[in-house]
Amino acid sequence: MTPMQRLAALPMWVWLVLALTPFVALLVIGKVPLRYNLRNLTVRWRTTVMTAMSFTIVIGLLVMMYAFVNGMAALTEGSGRPGNVLVLADGATDELFSSLTYSDATNIEREQAKTDADGRPLPAPLGVARVDRGGKPIALCSLETYAIVNQPMPVTPGQPPRRRFVQVRGVVDPDVSGRVHGLSLLPGGAWFSSAGVQGIVGKEVGGLPFLPVGPVSLFPGATVPFFPLALPRIDYQANYIQAVMGESAARELGRDAKKPMLEVGDVFELGDRQWLLVGLMKSAGSTFDSEIWAKQAIVGEQFRKESYTSIVLRTADGTDAAAKTLAAHLTKNFRPAVQALPEKEYYAKLTSTNEQFLWAIRFVAFVMAVGGISGIMNTMFAAISQRIKDIGVLRILGYARWQILVSFLLESVVIALLGGMVGCLIGTIADGWTATSILSGGQGGGKTVVLKLIVDANIIATGMLLALAMGVLGGVVPSLSAMRLRPLDAVR
Amino acid sequence: MFYFFLIVAGLIGLALLTLPLFFSVLYGAQFALNNIDAGRGPRFLLVMLKSLGRNRLRTSLTFIAIFVFVFMITGIWSILSFLSAVTEEKSKDLKAIVTEKHQLPSQMPFAYAQSISREVQSMPEGQRPRDDDLMTWQFYGGTLDPTNRTRENGVFFFALDPKVMRTMMDDLEGLDPQLAEALRNNMRGCILGKDRLKALNKRVGERMKVFSFNYKDIDLEFDIIGQAPDGRYDQTAFMNRDYLNRALEDYERKNGAKHPLAEKSLNLFWMRLPTTESFQVVAERMAAPGKFSQPSVKVETASSGISAFLDAYRDLVWAMRYLLAPAILVSMSLVIANAISISVRERVTEMAVLKVLGFRPWQILLLVLGEGLLIGVISGFLSSGLTYLVVDYYGGIKFPIAFFPAFFVPAAALWWGPVLGGLAALFGSILPAWSARTVKVSEVFSKVA
Repeated sequence: MTPMQRLAALPMWVWLVLALTPFVALLVIGKVPLRYNLRNLTVRWRTTVMTAMSFTIVIGLLVMMYAFVNGMAALTEGSGRPGNVLVLADGATDELFSSLTYSDATNIEREQAKTDADGRPLPAPLGVARVDRGGKPIALCSLETYAIVNQPMPVTPGQPPRRRFVQVRGVVDPDVSGRVHGLSLLPGGAWFSSAGVQGIVGKEVGGLPFLPVGPVSLFPGATVPFFPLALPRIDYQANYIQAVMGESAARELGRDAKKPMLEVGDVFELGDRQWLLVGLMKSAGSTFDSEIWAKQAIVGEQFRKESYTSIVLRTADGTDAAAKTLAAHLTKNFRPAVQALPEKEYYAKLTSTNEQFLWAIRFVAFVMAVGGISGIMNTMFAAISQRIKDIGVLRILGYARWQILVSFLLESVVIALLGGMVGCLIGTIADGWTATSILSGGQGGGKTVVLKLIVDANIIATGMLLALAMGVLGGVVPSLSAMRLRPLDAVR
Repeated sequence: MFYFFLIVAGLIGLALLTLPLFFSVLYGAQFALNNIDAGRGPRFLLVMLKSLGRNRLRTSLTFIAIFVFVFMITGIWSILSFLSAVTEEKSKDLKAIVTEKHQLPSQMPFAYAQSISREVQSMPEGQRPRDDDLMTWQFYGGTLDPTNRTRENGVFFFALDPKVMRTMMDDLEGLDPQLAEALRNNMRGCILGKDRLKALNKRVGERMKVFSFNYKDIDLEFDIIGQAPDGRYDQTAFMNRDYLNRALEDYERKNGAKHPLAEKSLNLFWMRLPTTESFQVVAERMAAPGKFSQPSVKVETASSGISAFLDAYRDLVWAMRYLLAPAILVSMSLVIANAISISVRERVTEMAVLKVLGFRPWQILLLVLGEGLLIGVISGFLSSGLTYLVVDYYGGIKFPIAFFPAFFVPAAALWWGPVLGGLAALFGSILPAWSARTVKVSEVFSKVA
C-alpha cells in the first residue's frame, strides 16, 4: 500500500476530525470574536435558517443516497462466504449463463489441490469439507441450478399487465446447500423433502374441479361464505412444489397476496405451477434473501435448465486462502474445463451497478453543493456588507486581519455544520428502509435484490465533511473581502 | 475520478461562461426599454431589470445556483420522461414481443421464427403485420481476449435480419441503408457502436475474432463494416443472424451432435401490429394449446416487456421522482428566497420611497416577485438550453438503467428549464415580496432620520 492509498483508506470520521482541528485550534489560540458572530447568526435568524436549510437538504439527500450504496455493498459483502468456491462453466460470466454438464459435477467433490495458486506444494492436500450425516460422511458440495423466472403480477382490471423477475435456485440437497452457504431456517419451517413436492388433500364439490368448499374470494378484500352442502363432496389431491425462500422474497410475493409477507404454509403461483412455502431462510443481508429455493430436478424441468448452472464447494479449511487454492486448482486442472473462483470474489465482482450509483451520487452531491455554496456566499456577502462598520470597530479595537477572516469564516462554517447536522439527522431516518435494486457485474446477468439502507458513522462523517467543505468554500471569499477592509474606511 | 472532476468543473465553467450572456440579456432588455416610449408596463419591467443589475455579485451567485439546480433536474427528468415514454402503452406503432413464457433469458428454438411468422401471416387482412414488420433477435456475446476477459474487450451482438433492422429497431432509422445492405451481403460483417469500437480499440475496416461466452466453442471472425448511428447503440453491435445460425449448423456437422444452445437460439421475436385488436388475436393464437408448448411462449407489448426489466429499478426511479427532484426544487427555492429577502432588506428605504411616489403595495409585491421570476426564468432557460445542447452532443447521460446505456435530453427540456426556474423563483419570492409590500413608510423614515 502506498502512503496515498493508506491515506485514502482512512475512515471518514478521521478526515472530519482532521478537518475540524484547525478551526478548533484557531478558536483556542486566536482571540476570535466568536460570540459576536454567533449573536449575529441569532439576530438574523431567518437568513441563517434559510441558508442552513439548503445545507440540510443537500446533506440529508447525500446521507440517504449513501445509505443505499452502503446497503448494496453490505449485501454483496454478506453474500459470499469465506472458504467457498463457486464453479461455473468455462467462459460463463454469470450464473445465469452458465451451463455445467452433470458429468462435471460427478467428480468435482473428490478433487484435491496438492499445490497452491502459485504452484508451490501444499503440506497436505486440500479438498472439499465433509460432514457426518447419519453416520455417513457427505461432501459439502452444493449442486445448483439458478433461473430467473418471469412472473405475472396481479393487476386491477383495466391496468396493463405487469411482470416481475423472480430468482429461483434449484438445489439437489437443501441440507447440504444450507450448510455450504451457512444458511438455516427460521423456526417453524423445514427444508423441502427429497421428493420436492407435497400433495395436499382437499375437497371438491360435486366432482367439479376448482369448486371449493369454504369461503370464496370474489375480488380482493371481499370474501363470502360458500358452502354448497347439498352437493356431494369428494376428496382430491393436488401436488404443490415445496419451496423455501428468503424473507425479502417472501415480502415481495406477499404483496400479491396483500399481506406483509408470505408465511409457511402459504401457496403461490410461479411458472404455471402452485408452490407451497415450507420454510423461510435466515438469509438477511445476502442475495439469497431474495431467492426461492426448490428441488433442483423440478426447477430444471420447469424452467428448461437441463444442467447445473453452478456448483459451490466448501473447502475443508474454510478460509479465503483455501478457497483461492482450490479455485486455482480446479480452473487449471479439472476437465472438462470449468471456471472456479472464490465465492467472495464472485460477489465482489457484482459491484458494477453499485459503482455506477456511487459516482452518480457523488455527482448529484457535488452539483447540489455548488448551489448550496452560492447560497451561503450570498448570505455572507450580505452579512459583511451590512456590518462594514462593525468590522471597522473590531479592527480599531485591535483585532488583526486574520482574526476578522477567521471570525467570518467560522460564521459560515457554523451555519453549514448546523444545516449539515440536521441533514444527517434527517438522513438517519432512512436507516433500515428496504429498497429493490439490481446487482450486476456489468457483463450481462445481474440479480434483483431487496436491500436494507444502512446509515453508519462513516456516512455521517462524510455528510458533515461535505457540509464543512461547503461552509469553508462559501465563506472564504466573503471573509477575505471582510479582512481587506481598512478600519477608517469601514467606520466612515 | 479525473473525468468526474472534469465534468463538475465543466458544469461550473459553463455556468460562469453563461453569466455574460445572462447579463447581456438583462442589459439588452434595459437598453431596449430605455429607448422605447411604451407606457407604464415596460417601465415597471425596467425597474425590475435595474434592481437585478444593481448587485451583480448577488445576481451572479443566484444565477449560478439556479443554473446548476436546473441542470440537475433537467438530467433527472430526462431519464424519467424517457422511462415513462417507453413503458407507456401505445395504440400507434404497436410492437409486440414473443418470448419464452417463464424463463429469462428467453431461449426458444429458431424454428419458432417460421412457425410464428406463419401464424401471424394467416391472420385476417387488416390485422396482419407485413413481412417487414417481423424481426428475430438472437444474442451473441463474446470477448476478444479469452484469457483476460474485461468489460472493455467484451462485445454483445444483436444477431438479426439486416433487411428489417432499420425499420424495426427503435432509433435506427438513421442507419445508412447501404450499410444494412452490406451487412446482408457480407455474412461475416458487423456494425459496432462508436463507444464499443473505441473500447475494443478497433476501426471500421478491421477484422476481429470473438470468443463467445454464451455460445461455447462458437468463436466467430468478423469484418467491421460500419458504425451504428450515435446514441442508443453506442455500446452495442449488430451481426447477420445467418452467420450465427450457420455456425451452429457447422458445429453439428463437426461434432456429430447439436450445440447445447442449438434449440435455444431464438431469444425474441418482434412484430409491429396495425391495431391493438390484432395484438389480442396474436396473443390468443400464441397461447392456443398445442401450438407453442416446448417451450410455451407469451406475447406482450414492448412497453410491458420493458416495464418488467425496470421493476428492479422501481425504488430508484421512485426516489428520483419523489425525493431527489422535489429536494432540488426546494433547494432552488431556498437559495432564491434567501437572495431576494436579503435584497428586500437592503432596499427597505427604496420601497418606502416608491410608496411615497405613489406605488401601491401590490405593485411593490409584483416588483419583487417579478425580479425573482426574471432571474428564475432566464437562468432556467439558459441552463436547460445548454444542458440540451451539451449533454446530447456528448452522447447523453451515461447512466445505464436496464438495457438503456444513455439518456438524451429531450427538446421539451427547453420549456422545463424556464418553467422550473420561474416556479421555484415564484415560491421563493412570495415571502420576501410580502414583507416588501408591508413596509411602513413612517417607520422606515423615522429610522433613517
